[in-house]
Amino acid sequence: MGMEQAWLLPAIPAALFVVIVFFHRVMPRHGDWAAILGMLAVIGISGAIVLDFQNGGVNTYSFEWLNIGDGFFVIDFSTYVDSVTIVMLAAITIVRLMVMVYSVGYMHGDSRYGWYFAVLSLFAAAMLTLVISGNLILLYLAWEGVGLASYLLIGFWWERQSAAEAAKKAFITTRIGDVGLLIGIILLWRGAGTFDIQQIIHFAEDGGFDEKYLTITMLFLFAGAVGKSAQFPLHVWLPDAMEGPTPVSALIHAATMVVAGVYLVARMLPIYDEVLIARDVVLYTGLLTAIMAATMGLVANDIKRVLAYSTISQLGFMFVALGVGAITAAMFHLLMHAFFKSLLFLGSGSVIHATEEQEVEQLGGLSRKMPITTVTFIIGSLALAGIAPLAGFWSKDEILVATQGGAPGFAYALLAGTALLTAIYSTRLVLLTFFGEPKNQSVYDHAHESPPIMTVPLIILAGLALTAGFIALDGVGEVLGFAGGIGEIVIHGATGHAYKLHMDIAAAATASSVIGIVIGLVYWRGRAERAERARNWAPELHTLLVNRYYIDHLYQATIDRVVLGLAGVVAWFDKKVVNETGVDGGAQSLGYLGLRLKFLQTGKIPNYALGMAIGLVTITLVAFGMN
Amino acid sequence: MSPLDVPLDNFLTLAAVLFAIGFYGVLARRSAIQILIAVELMLAAVTINLVAFSAYRDQDQFTGIVFAIFVITVAAAEIALALGIVLRIFRERGTANVDEADTLKW
Repeated sequence: MGMEQAWLLPAIPAALFVVIVFFHRVMPRHGDWAAILGMLAVIGISGAIVLDFQNGGVNTYSFEWLNIGDGFFVIDFSTYVDSVTIVMLAAITIVRLMVMVYSVGYMHGDSRYGWYFAVLSLFAAAMLTLVISGNLILLYLAWEGVGLASYLLIGFWWERQSAAEAAKKAFITTRIGDVGLLIGIILLWRGAGTFDIQQIIHFAEDGGFDEKYLTITMLFLFAGAVGKSAQFPLHVWLPDAMEGPTPVSALIHAATMVVAGVYLVARMLPIYDEVLIARDVVLYTGLLTAIMAATMGLVANDIKRVLAYSTISQLGFMFVALGVGAITAAMFHLLMHAFFKSLLFLGSGSVIHATEEQEVEQLGGLSRKMPITTVTFIIGSLALAGIAPLAGFWSKDEILVATQGGAPGFAYALLAGTALLTAIYSTRLVLLTFFGEPKNQSVYDHAHESPPIMTVPLIILAGLALTAGFIALDGVGEVLGFAGGIGEIVIHGATGHAYKLHMDIAAAATASSVIGIVIGLVYWRGRAERAERARNWAPELHTLLVNRYYIDHLYQATIDRVVLGLAGVVAWFDKKVVNETGVDGGAQSLGYLGLRLKFLQTGKIPNYALGMAIGLVTITLVAFGMN
Repeated sequence: MSPLDVPLDNFLTLAAVLFAIGFYGVLARRSAIQILIAVELMLAAVTINLVAFSAYRDQDQFTGIVFAIFVITVAAAEIALALGIVLRIFRERGTANVDEADTLKW
């Protein structure tokens, strides 16, 4: 058992999906135990793969799926496991197990309980396929698979109009990016003649591509990442995706699916290193998104939306790291973010479960009722803010170091400023939710701590958020059986380097985080009227942020005017020209002809006999004429 | 010279005349019975052709003659059926005039 058996990872949940879908009605507890046991098996196999891990990556050809033109167009379904895959596996499997256990409590009594666990398994199969695929076509299939699972889970409560709309919005928005990804894949194949990722990378490194061609190709590929990872300008779907069950938000829209875009760019980073213009696009897209999302997170009032904006912002951080070529920092932050953001989402789910309320303006003072949730949520927030020595500190520091070394000064300054904003909005969220006077007494009276099946995953994830960052240190990595710290685990070769704590930047980052927290503490110390004052302080800015920079409005207006207008013209053409004139017209003219010609049938035998006689004479004459 | 002293053309002429008479009868008559008789004349003309060709062109085989026997047999069956139908029409309407049996139309 080892890296060669990586194909088992998606095979197990895929099989479980089929079993649970068809048999959850007769399975005890609707099959939730099967999904969780399957996840444990996946973790076991992942562990075996980690132990078997060798630097350099292992390519395993499973089978040839398609071969057209004798080698002209070949699709091999193959698996590829390297350090990037290892990090993804760690993030996916651990968070997923926690979310599944948590869901047992959160989804208890739901009418589609079995279907929920079935779709979770489907999503696991797609996501695991995505991270182990060594082939762009297989990767694309898995990519669409996670999109489908995401759609199903966002719209899980489809009886609610808003959930159905959000699912549609998420699917269509990411689809726009997916088209770009597909075009990029085709362009790569056209240049390199293969879909195998490693072969394409070698081809690119040997200078096989035309530079302009490759730049455009990689931009198309990045469009896919932008859609999936909710970067500007396709970020609009993620906040709405919070309509899904909260554990799903933790799983898909914080910890795993949305990092698929980061994974894609990380996987392709050797090619991006060849075309620095495309890499700069990644950098500045990530930077812009990080700032925009953080500012929107400052004013959002829905607890899950704040976390959603935070996710978008943190994904922006990862893209910034990739944009300067620091794959170590990006993957490290991805892993840390998976831990503390899933913790935060599950914590918010605990609050929603207890109060059935997710507007912070209705919450407050919950720390007295929900101590475990409060403590773990604070740990998650501190990790997000980047307070040493929690998880977020190490990875955010790494990104800032990489940015300072690899990007213009203003990019570093903006990113550091965004880190400050991160601290402010996470402090605001904690204060408004858990401290101060209850803003809605009936909600407060209703609140209670969640059952252990939900709090235990919170505690485990909080432990990870507290300690996971230490794997950055060489010594810890060696204890865990690796050659060194995160730098050794994540990457090898030119772009990787061993982790080194930069005291000056670390101190500056921690200081700015503390300043952010202090600002938040002083400003929002549980007083409702403070929110009012923030509104009055800069009403135009507040309106701009609350309306999400009017980007959603712009898209809606575009759809209403341009898309629906065009659709109206096409619909008119289809209805009038194609249908009424073409199809119906043809049928009607034949019917009219029939109405006229039917009078030839007189029913009188002599008439028919005469017709036969004329025919006979005609045939005879023709026959003689031909002779 | 064939075994028969009469040339083939005479038979063919006879058959053609008989066919033309029958043809005229089918077109000109109004009574169903008379039309049927005319049809029988046409059939007889065809049968004469078959037998004549058989005798003159195919003396070792009996294909034409066998064919002629089939035609007679089928014609007998056909006329039995047709007379049955005509009888029913006559009982229903009191006439066997084909002009008046025209309900099977548009």
